[in-house]
Amino acid sequence: MKWLRGGGIVGFIIRRILLGLLVMFLVSIIVFASTQALGDPARAILGRDATPDRLAALQKELNLDQNVVGQYFQWLSGLLHGNLGTSLASQQPVSNALGPRLVSSIVLVILAAVISIPLSIAIGSYAALHREKGFDTVVSNVMLALASLPEFVVALLLVILFSTSVFHWLPAISPVPPGHRAWEYPDELILPVLTLAFAVTPYVSRIMRASMIEVLESDYVEMARLKGLSERTVLYRHALPNAIGPVFQVAAISLAYLAGGIVVIEYVFNYPGIGSELVDAVVNHDIPVVQALAILIAGLYVLLNLLADVATILVTPRLRTRL
Amino acid sequence: MSDRDVEVSRDEALALVAQGVENPPPGRRTNLLRRSLRLGRTKVGLVLVGFVVLLAVFGPVVAPHASDEFVGRPFSPPGGGLVFGTDYLGQDVLSRFLDGGLTILILALVSTAIGLVLGLAIGLVAAYSRNWLDDVLMRAMDVIMAFPQIMIALVAVSLIGTKNWVRVIAIALTTAPRVARVARGAAQPVIERDFIGATEAMGLSRVRIIGGELFPNILGPMMVEASLRLTYSIAVIAALAFLGLSNDPNGPNWGTMIQQNQGSLATQPWGALLPILAIALLTMGTGLIGDGIARTAAGIDRERGDE
Amino acid sequence: MVIGSQRPTRGRALQMTESGGTRWQLNERPERLFDSISRRNLLMGAGGVLLASGLAACGGSSPTPSAGGSTASAGTPKRGGNFRLGVTGGGSKDMMDGQNIVTKPDQARLMTAFETLLVFDDNYQLQTDGLAESVEADNPTQYTIKIRKGIDFQNGKPFTADDVIYSLQRIGTQGNGLTGYAATATMDIKHLKKVDKYTVQLPMLSPDSTVPQTLASYTFGMVPVGYEAYKGDPSTQVGTGCYILKSFTPGQESVHERNPNYWRGDGSPWFDTVTITDFNDSTAQLNALKGGQIDAMTDVPAGQVNAVQGSGIGILNSQTGGWIPLCMAIDMPPFDDPKVRQAFRLIIDRKAVLEQVGNGYGQIANDLYSPFDEGYDKSLPQREQDIEQAKSLLKAAGKEGLSVDLHTTNGAAGMVELASVFASQAKAAGVNVTVKNDPNYYGDSYLKLPFSVDFWGTRGYLNQVQQGSLPNSPYNETHWPPKSGTGSNFESLYKQALAETDSNKRIDIQHQMQQYEYDLGGYIIPYFNALIDGYGSGVTGLSPSKGTLNLASFGHGYRTIWFS
Repeated sequence: MKWLRGGGIVGFIIRRILLGLLVMFLVSIIVFASTQALGDPARAILGRDATPDRLAALQKELNLDQNVVGQYFQWLSGLLHGNLGTSLASQQPVSNALGPRLVSSIVLVILAAVISIPLSIAIGSYAALHREKGFDTVVSNVMLALASLPEFVVALLLVILFSTSVFHWLPAISPVPPGHRAWEYPDELILPVLTLAFAVTPYVSRIMRASMIEVLESDYVEMARLKGLSERTVLYRHALPNAIGPVFQVAAISLAYLAGGIVVIEYVFNYPGIGSELVDAVVNHDIPVVQALAILIAGLYVLLNLLADVATILVTPRLRTRL
Repeated sequence: MSDRDVEVSRDEALALVAQGVENPPPGRRTNLLRRSLRLGRTKVGLVLVGFVVLLAVFGPVVAPHASDEFVGRPFSPPGGGLVFGTDYLGQDVLSRFLDGGLTILILALVSTAIGLVLGLAIGLVAAYSRNWLDDVLMRAMDVIMAFPQIMIALVAVSLIGTKNWVRVIAIALTTAPRVARVARGAAQPVIERDFIGATEAMGLSRVRIIGGELFPNILGPMMVEASLRLTYSIAVIAALAFLGLSNDPNGPNWGTMIQQNQGSLATQPWGALLPILAIALLTMGTGLIGDGIARTAAGIDRERGDE
Repeated sequence: MVIGSQRPTRGRALQMTESGGTRWQLNERPERLFDSISRRNLLMGAGGVLLASGLAACGGSSPTPSAGGSTASAGTPKRGGNFRLGVTGGGSKDMMDGQNIVTKPDQARLMTAFETLLVFDDNYQLQTDGLAESVEADNPTQYTIKIRKGIDFQNGKPFTADDVIYSLQRIGTQGNGLTGYAATATMDIKHLKKVDKYTVQLPMLSPDSTVPQTLASYTFGMVPVGYEAYKGDPSTQVGTGCYILKSFTPGQESVHERNPNYWRGDGSPWFDTVTITDFNDSTAQLNALKGGQIDAMTDVPAGQVNAVQGSGIGILNSQTGGWIPLCMAIDMPPFDDPKVRQAFRLIIDRKAVLEQVGNGYGQIANDLYSPFDEGYDKSLPQREQDIEQAKSLLKAAGKEGLSVDLHTTNGAAGMVELASVFASQAKAAGVNVTVKNDPNYYGDSYLKLPFSVDFWGTRGYLNQVQQGSLPNSPYNETHWPPKSGTGSNFESLYKQALAETDSNKRIDIQHQMQQYEYDLGGYIIPYFNALIDGYGSGVTGLSPSKGTLNLASFGHGYRTIWFS
């Protein structure tokens, strides 16, 4: 078992993966246990029309008559075979509805990342270069404000600004019709993506700034300057690559965060992603969907955290030697 | 706001705190707070927070009408003695606004406090034990942190009901792991300091070590973390109310008010705008305070590093 | 207790009656909803044969159905366009079934493709404008239904008597759990007889004069033999209606294409496609309507109407007989004491409720339903708020300082708000009401709660009784009628009324039934709501309707509206 303890980077990665799997296993138990307690879903589905015979039939269909442990393993094995269960409310396989919605949410997240990460790097670097001067102070305060605001507040303010009250440039909601891809409706994507970007940029730009400052004051950069290299070269070829390390970690975590942050944002914009689906499923007590989404989001988090840790290790040489 | 602010604040403050920091002489421990107050931004933050807290605490006393009193046609614009017009049920916006902050504040404070205490305890125990207990605790924290805070709160509330304690526990439980990570991360380098080894050799009990020696040294990062967590708790509580998950559908509550009055933003914005602004100011204030403390901590240690 | 139709007087007139209860206040009554101007003979068979009875609907043919917003007189219809409708209240539970609904989106989708034998017009009068040429009662226990010739289903198959039989039997089969099942209780479904290709004989188990109204109710859509509800395949949703289902994602959107072979042959329907989109809430809907992303929406929140009208959106304001009652279960404490029920009915300030919850759009009600029915008893005095009286009633019942929970949900506009407003009004009488807003309301405890809020659409009196006021009614929130004492003969009165062919006598029976409900019932009905819908410029053909469904029965199945 020596490789578990040592083994350099590879060993580290393997350890993290095993850890991630362990976490996922525990997560699955928690998800299952807590959602089974949601009360009788058969009643919830049939609603006003729950006659005793229909109730009994539905309960049988949902395996609600088995014992809990048996149900858990059935569910788990289904998951591992790609069968996410059948939505109680729509009577269709969960993966049917989940697939397109997942894609829609991923589109939002990727667009937000694509916009915010380079922007943050630029802002952070510029602020670091002109530290304590006008730009830095203004930007830093704006970023702080943005970072503190809850997303739905930012979302609503944007809606007021660009859609309903001040300007009327953009649609206030983004209901991408089913069967269509989110990117076919670019104007509907703008506000939600902007909100997400505003949620992420403050942090990434701040870490970029801090990291950049540290690098700019490091001996390494001093050496480069002393060597007579142009400031540009120093910046782009020596400072930036070294400053970027922590950014990866924060970026990866930001992406994971966005997966959760979209819950409220998709709700505000009526956007058909997994966030709004989660709200819908929770309210409807649609257990299989809640379970599937919980596992999915948790899995995403774990994966992205893993990537973040690996990226940081790879990019920060001094940590490598500690492994 | 989540893991990344842990990373960011932790990295900023800790990276500098942990670098070559000597054990500060006893008198300096409480200076962090006072020193941070000298910063402009901390002052601004305190003013903002103070203002909103005053509104929330004393608002109900000075509200001109009862929060469920029918005073005029729904969504009437300001006029006729109603400074900010009426809301979706014809109730006075100003009175409901004044009544609506206390719940959010109390819930956020209580849940953050519980989360802080819990997280601190777990983090310190983990850091200090340095063995299998550390691993187990941290894995447990990872499991909880695998979910976004709002998601856990959502599921908990729909499972059990929209009672206050459910929300408090849900937020406290999800705050604790994040705090634990910071506490642990901040405590670890200090544990490696000689003086810990020295006090152990001197025979002090573990509890005294943890309480008396460890704790003051991680004060900086913890205070930053506390303000960050508070900011986020406020946001989650407001978001839950906004999603319609509050225990009284017509209770005066800033989050609920936003949802109820959202539709008329174009013509009678005050019903939604006032609470939006209040939440914004409050969260900005706590953010500024936390940032001020972080900078001061970094600044202190920078100074010391140069000495 | 006899109140009778005295001339309304101002001021209070409290007197004790023989039984010890108090006579209600007499006040001048607000007006206009219930004027019965003339009675029309509504059902004419092809040979001019009149229906003997069964006109339990329709208060009168007053010329102006309601407040306004009509676009009817806007020229000749034009073909073309994609009509996009936004609806709320749906979710992943959305269904498509010609004979079943749970939520409003379900109603909207049903109306695209399915039609009924008879129809209600905008004045809530029965018409033979549907699939049937005539529906006649040969005798009190047998009806003959003659359908029009030459109607094809959307798949080209002709609509025949076999389909009528299958449709009625599908509804009448208990295991199917369809909305209209309870209304078939008096029908001898098993012995439906095909007389010829276009004629069906419907024998009755007991006399029932409300059969024509039942056949006009929108959940009695005619479906082809073998039809089943939507389970993933749009091609199964075949009806006789104007639009053919092309695609459907529950909780999101459905797309319906024009039926080129629609049987009326007058050029309708006019839109090329109809798209129905689910929305989370009315704010998103409104924003979408304002932004031009949808052409029409259901249920504009009453408080937004003024705001919306200013921005070029048309408002369709239909005064209907729909109601949002507070329901007190008469067999559960504390409401098992009639004094408590009477007290609660006096606590409510109906005018304030109408202002706050309906923003003034509606008509004050008097705790009785079916305002358009000719048997609606207008002579019963209008109740007003009387806190003092309420307090003394509660005291007499030993229930001062009462605390109750009031359960509600977001099932229809105003349900949650009504609960909140009542809770705040109740404080004045020393009653402490805790509002419980449960998103899962129509689940476990529905129909088992002592105090709750529900919603109903326009219906004729006897139909409504059968749906909600009999022991075996599907939606009897108040657990009416009492099992003993005054009012316990309610059900037998109902059966008499069903069988009564003389409409005057039937009206008398109905008045008696309503008297019981007025004195002892469990409903608190503050007002009759207006259905307020919104539509974008360009949408033409909408005019207010007294019926149950929004947008004037969704433009009569999306048939009488077009883009100008």
